Amino acid sequence: MNRKQEQAELLQGTLDLLVLKAVSLGKLHGYGILLRIEQISGRALSIEQGALYPALYRLERQGLLDTEWGVSENNRRAKYYTLTRAGQRRLQKEQRSWNRLVGAISAALAVEPGEA
Amino acid sequence: MFRFLQWKSMARRERFEAGMREEFAFHHEARIEHLIRQGATRQEAARRARLEFGAPEAYREECREAHRLHLLDELVRNLRYGFRNIKKNPGFAATAIVSLALGIGMNTVVFSVFESLLLRPLPIEKPKQVVFVETRTGTTLSFPSYRDFRDNNSTFSGLAGFRISPVDLQIAKNPQRVWGCLATGNYFDMLGLKPALGRFFHPQDDLRAGASPYAVLSYRTWQARFASNPAIAGQTVRINGLPYTVLGVAPANFHSTELLLWPDLWIPMTMEPQIETGNPWLDNRHTWNTSVIGRLKPGVTATQATADLDRIANDLARRFPDSDRGLRMKLSKPGLWGSLLRGPVTRFVEGLLLLAGMALLTTCVNLAGLLLARASDRQREMAIRSSVGAGAGRIIRQVLTESSLISLMGGFAGFAVAAAVCRFLSGWRAPVDFPVEFDVTPDWRVFLFAGMVSVLTGILFSLGPAVQMSRVDLNSVLKGGTVFRPRWGVGFRDFLVAAEIALCFVLVFGSLLSIQGLRNALSMPLGFNPEDVTTLAFDVGPPSYNEAQGRAFQEAILKKVEALPGVISAAYANSLPLSIDQSTTGVQSDGQAIARGREAKSANYYQISPGLLETLRISLLNGRDFSEHDSAHAPQIAIVNQTFAEKIMHTDNPVGKTFRFGLAGGPRIVVAGLVADGKYVSLTERPTPVVFWPIEQQYNSTTTLVVRSHLPSSEIVNDVRRLIASMDSRLPVYGAGSLDDMLGFALFPMHAAAVALSAFGLLALALAITGINGLVSYAMSRRTKEIGIRISVGASSFEIGRFLLTKLAVFVLIGLAVGLLLALAAGQALHSVVYGASPKDPALFCSVLSFLLAAAALACWRPTARALRVDPVRALRYE
Repeated sequence: MNRKQEQAELLQGTLDLLVLKAVSLGKLHGYGILLRIEQISGRALSIEQGALYPALYRLERQGLLDTEWGVSENNRRAKYYTLTRAGQRRLQKEQRSWNRLVGAISAALAVEPGEA
Repeated sequence: MFRFLQWKSMARRERFEAGMREEFAFHHEARIEHLIRQGATRQEAARRARLEFGAPEAYREECREAHRLHLLDELVRNLRYGFRNIKKNPGFAATAIVSLALGIGMNTVVFSVFESLLLRPLPIEKPKQVVFVETRTGTTLSFPSYRDFRDNNSTFSGLAGFRISPVDLQIAKNPQRVWGCLATGNYFDMLGLKPALGRFFHPQDDLRAGASPYAVLSYRTWQARFASNPAIAGQTVRINGLPYTVLGVAPANFHSTELLLWPDLWIPMTMEPQIETGNPWLDNRHTWNTSVIGRLKPGVTATQATADLDRIANDLARRFPDSDRGLRMKLSKPGLWGSLLRGPVTRFVEGLLLLAGMALLTTCVNLAGLLLARASDRQREMAIRSSVGAGAGRIIRQVLTESSLISLMGGFAGFAVAAAVCRFLSGWRAPVDFPVEFDVTPDWRVFLFAGMVSVLTGILFSLGPAVQMSRVDLNSVLKGGTVFRPRWGVGFRDFLVAAEIALCFVLVFGSLLSIQGLRNALSMPLGFNPEDVTTLAFDVGPPSYNEAQGRAFQEAILKKVEALPGVISAAYANSLPLSIDQSTTGVQSDGQAIARGREAKSANYYQISPGLLETLRISLLNGRDFSEHDSAHAPQIAIVNQTFAEKIMHTDNPVGKTFRFGLAGGPRIVVAGLVADGKYVSLTERPTPVVFWPIEQQYNSTTTLVVRSHLPSSEIVNDVRRLIASMDSRLPVYGAGSLDDMLGFALFPMHAAAVALSAFGLLALALAITGINGLVSYAMSRRTKEIGIRISVGASSFEIGRFLLTKLAVFVLIGLAVGLLLALAAGQALHSVVYGASPKDPALFCSVLSFLLAAAALACWRPTARALRVDPVRALRYE
């Protein structure tokens, strides 16, 4: 596996996690998910916006997201995503492992010279 | 079904695509509104929204892929696309389908022969336990020794004996000659068969000689001769004039443990003296007539069983040195007369399988070449597909779908071809008076094989080109430049040329070799001349005739036949050379220490009437033919062939000298004549010693009438039949026809090999020419620009030709060299079936070589000529 692929996979995993998190906060359409992610992460996504959709379709295919057509805030037909029960479980699991990872890394980084 | 799937998948796809479009559009609009709210102009907002989103088509493709809807969907699309391509390019598709049909068809035929002869288990209980018991030197045992083996072994749960014998079956006063199988009482029980009707005979039905007049019918005989009469069990039929009770009918799928043997009915072995009248051998240790099969006890290995049998054989050799000295036992798989036929048949069929596989491989190489050539036409199409976001996998899948479509069509056609050929083969009857048949009806295994071969073929011939097609370099193609990134200095297609040539070399070599062998065999001196000879056999045995009556009948018929208009000469023989019925007898040279047991010498013998030598044109080298004066009361005489004189009498002028008949000091026989050697058992045999006895001194109720006449055989047969019917309307006549036809049996293996191999050779040659042509055309078309430049800077046609063809020539030569080596190896394998053909014949190699060079030249000529006519201006502008 080359570096580019590795990055791509890391990115994909993170994006999936962010999408699940965003949808867990409530029913959203694609553009809404994008805004929610930007909102909770506090900055603009560095990827192209179109890249969100393959992730959504993949998660839907995996049974983690449910979709239904509804009417948007400006009265247009839009496709809404909700988290399925499998999606909730996956989110919790991913969150736990993410937290563990982050915890481990911060602990590692917190080590000062001489402490070891 | 396909239509429905297509429709359903299309509808689903439409829905999916529409949803995706709407969703993307919504995103776009929402983004624009958002940006406008933030203060951008509509124009500015639209531009930024587009930019931020990225290429929508690429993401749509990713969505499709992510959603996996594409698999079925894409398949349908690819199929539709493939069909369209086939319609657009019918020439390619037709070539591919026809060559695949031939290649797959041939493989399927050869495989069904292989399967039916070597793989298919016998339709008996636990077939793996059943073995054929033979000796190291032959396939049969004497009946007394069979009994000893049966009663004294500790490794078999059963040993059964059988023997094929002709019988007269009388149905409604109408005698028919059918084939009976004498079988020991435990035969059916040991095989674990269930009768289709009634019952089988059992050991208790086979205890005393002549006391069990029972018959079990084969399923086919029951159907064909007894109209599937459900009440047949218990009825009486007359066999050889005596009443027998029909016990039952054998199951439909069982004909014998021997694959080629199809007897019409089974009779308990103890009836042998009644069936083979005048020749009781059940208590004779010198008559080796019993074929033996046995079922091993569970857990017993073949080695253990052989050791057990050898222990008994040693004992027999000690007790009966005259007959059983040196007896050693061997086990083999039943079905092909022990190891007698199995070895050669296996080698031959495996050789064919190899050749058929190679022919198919050549087809693949060929189609790969054609596909590759076509790929250059499709470069732009592939580049465009790839630029709109189709990944490499997608393109490969599409090319594979297309070629699988073609290969499945080819496979289907091939299976149809194979089924027809197999039907023909199964319906074929060897032109011999023997119940030989060959069942190669394709079953599910064969169907599976054809299917698998088709799919594999499709993948094999298209994977290479598909992968290459998927590696398009977008930028340069769309700009009109080269297509594929060259990966090696030497291209895939160069290897294809070499492979093609090598495979073709082997196939053409094999077919020429076998044709040469067949020619040799046909022109070989047989020792007699079968042309214009008609034969016809009948049996005047008891109970209808005693010896005196039989002799009188034979003499009367012969007189009348000789008097027929158009008959040149006529005579009797008990059997004829190269027919399936050959007999041997023990002989000794006179005045030598007596050799014993199996070490004694044996010679083939024929019982003939005066005039037979002349009728068959067997040349009498010295001495005299028999005459009617050599009666039973005259001194015993014989005529021998050259090998007999040399090997047994150790002289080249045996006339007037004597030898001893039989094993232990039998009677002295005076040699009256010496005849030239011939072929007696097979065309490939070594010189065989043969002795002819006068029929007057050795009566045989079974005789073949041999008639020489320029009239057509069918006329002679009709005339003789009428004559016989006028004297005894109930006497069955068999083995009637021209001697040439009868010899078909001896020539059959060679004919089969020659036909099969010639077909392979022709196919290979055609494939090679089209294949190389395709590859070269492709290579030339890739170099149009280069050729244009060379022409424009003043290169001559010769220089360009040399430059174009040098590399090609190198690979052709490599192919020839590899082919030569492979052919040498293949020649060794063919040597066993192809008589008299020398696999190392330099003339043969030279002719194959020149054949292929001519073919390669032919294949290169047109594309090269076309390339040389290139208009430099157009060539340079084109790209």
